[in-house]
Amino acid sequence: MYRQDGEDVFVIDGHIHLWDASEENVIHEGGEQFIQCFYDYHTAFTPEERQWDLETYRQYGPEKLKSDLFGSGHVDMGIFQPTYLSEFYEDGFNTTEDNAELAEQHPERFVLNGSFDPRNGEEGLEYLRELKETYDIPGVKLYTAEWNGDSKGWRLDSEDAFEFLQECVDLGITNINAHKGPTIRPLNRDAFDVADIDDAATSFPELNFVVNHIGMPRLDDFTWIAAQEPNVYGGLAVVAPLALSRPRKFGEIMGELLFWLGEDRILFGSDYGLWEPEWVIEAIMDHELTPEQREEYGVEFDIETKKKVLGENAAELYDIDIEEKKRQFESDEVSEEFGLGEHYASEAAAD
Amino acid sequence: MARRTSDADVDARTDSEGPLGTASAAGTVTPEAVLDRLDRVTDPELDRSIVELEYIDEIAIDGPELFVRFVLPTAWCSPTFAWMMATGIREESEKLAGVEETEVELIDHMHTAEINAGVNDGKQFEDAFEDATEGIEETRKSLDRKARLARQYRAVEALLDVGLKPEQIVSLTPADVGVADLPEDGRAIETDTDNPDEDTGDLTITLAEGTLYVRVPREPIAAYLAKAIDTDLVTSADDALFATPDGEAIGEEQFDLVHHRTRAASVNQSGQGGVCASLHEARYGGESEELDEPAD
Repeated sequence: MYRQDGEDVFVIDGHIHLWDASEENVIHEGGEQFIQCFYDYHTAFTPEERQWDLETYRQYGPEKLKSDLFGSGHVDMGIFQPTYLSEFYEDGFNTTEDNAELAEQHPERFVLNGSFDPRNGEEGLEYLRELKETYDIPGVKLYTAEWNGDSKGWRLDSEDAFEFLQECVDLGITNINAHKGPTIRPLNRDAFDVADIDDAATSFPELNFVVNHIGMPRLDDFTWIAAQEPNVYGGLAVVAPLALSRPRKFGEIMGELLFWLGEDRILFGSDYGLWEPEWVIEAIMDHELTPEQREEYGVEFDIETKKKVLGENAAELYDIDIEEKKRQFESDEVSEEFGLGEHYASEAAAD
Repeated sequence: MARRTSDADVDARTDSEGPLGTASAAGTVTPEAVLDRLDRVTDPELDRSIVELEYIDEIAIDGPELFVRFVLPTAWCSPTFAWMMATGIREESEKLAGVEETEVELIDHMHTAEINAGVNDGKQFEDAFEDATEGIEETRKSLDRKARLARQYRAVEALLDVGLKPEQIVSLTPADVGVADLPEDGRAIETDTDNPDEDTGDLTITLAEGTLYVRVPREPIAAYLAKAIDTDLVTSADDALFATPDGEAIGEEQFDLVHHRTRAASVNQSGQGGVCASLHEARYGGESEELDEPAD
């Protein structure tokens, strides 16, 4: 829990991974390129003294994850967002099953999402039902640029995707997290185009659509869609580190998001293991909009707004009772392991 | 590496727009002239010059043959964008008087093989890449549209700053901002800022049927109009200067909404520019590579 000026900020990290990009697991050059690309982002944005070596980066393991999130990272709960990439990695890059091993050890600390690929047809639907049955997943993470056979990507507004979204409605899987980030693949068709979110969100008002990476570099398309679709949310993964290295640009982006979406539909995500949440959260908590930005956008990024972005909005989506969690964390295993019990027992305002 | 340049054939080629670039008195192409020409090539996503972004790694001149090497912020930059920049380098530099042929080399990118071979052989994108299913024109149009919007934001901000009202702004035409004859190439308007008569950097806008004059910084208006011409949004001096993201005329009541949407396009572009700059710095350090000096 982050504590600032006598206020407790309960942090739900909306975007975490437990991946395996070890050399043994890479079966396609795309897999090697993928982790190298991530590592470029890691070294570009992480302060030098906080950078990892590539070996650690390939596979950091569950103990390091717990330590980096809960031990030092100010994070109270984490939401797993699986990324399969089965064509690139023998056992997948970051599957629901991988994430589940840790999530099931500490179910009070993690939210476990599943995933689907509409190109897998009936078999894919069956897998989705299985995930619901086995893990009671509240959401799915979708990676529309994933390769599958001859296909180099898919769209959320396709007929096949709609069939899967309807299945989500029927199964009570309500949070649809779509990766919409930097263009890497495929070559010319823009598989991270955000336009498909529009139609899907209109057609399935009972589902929530979280656009990860706020569609960067398609922020303008994303904000325009989100302004019109009340069930569209913005996830800050990858944008959040700009709070440290490019605070002015981060302020402009927050200004746009607050202007178009309001303060209730923006979700923090560190994107762990891209980098550790500790410095990212500190940079966001210390960030202030400039007077010009406040005037231009007519919005505030104050402590109340930050509390929503860092935890309360995700709590709303995933039906998490923050006060109950705080009581529970006074004595759960993670608090015992990292000596956090006191932290949850004492109210910040009483300090 | 720069080599001694040949005196031959330098003045033999001129472009339809007239001799371009600066051939020196001795008739040689200089690296400065090449850079000046390459300044016209933009990173299509950021709408900024690849020279300004320090993507040019090396220029070597060997008689009428030119070699340009360039780098991008990461090995994962969209191959489509990399292709556009590589072809842009080739096409622009080959318009220089004294340049017969340019060899382009992209380094440190996951698709160097396809891009270098494809661009230097004059292939189409979809033929150079086995995986490609379509050409790049749609992507180029969509990026151009965004660049136009971001430029519109800066132009309209400049007009608001000098006191123009929304209803005046939406009805402006190229003729009102002093461009009575549209050039074929929008860039001609931008480069016109070098005209010594324009030394104030301002332009005069005529309003209310010639009864009112307002001075406004020329650069953002010229940059916008250049892109509006090049994207065929503005095709006549009497067309509306500005438009909605879909290219429609802006109703007065839509002014704020359209302006806010163009602001988002501008923030998107500069935000992405920040991401790319961080990646570029992490990879190559904060300093640009030294360009080879011409041999003499």
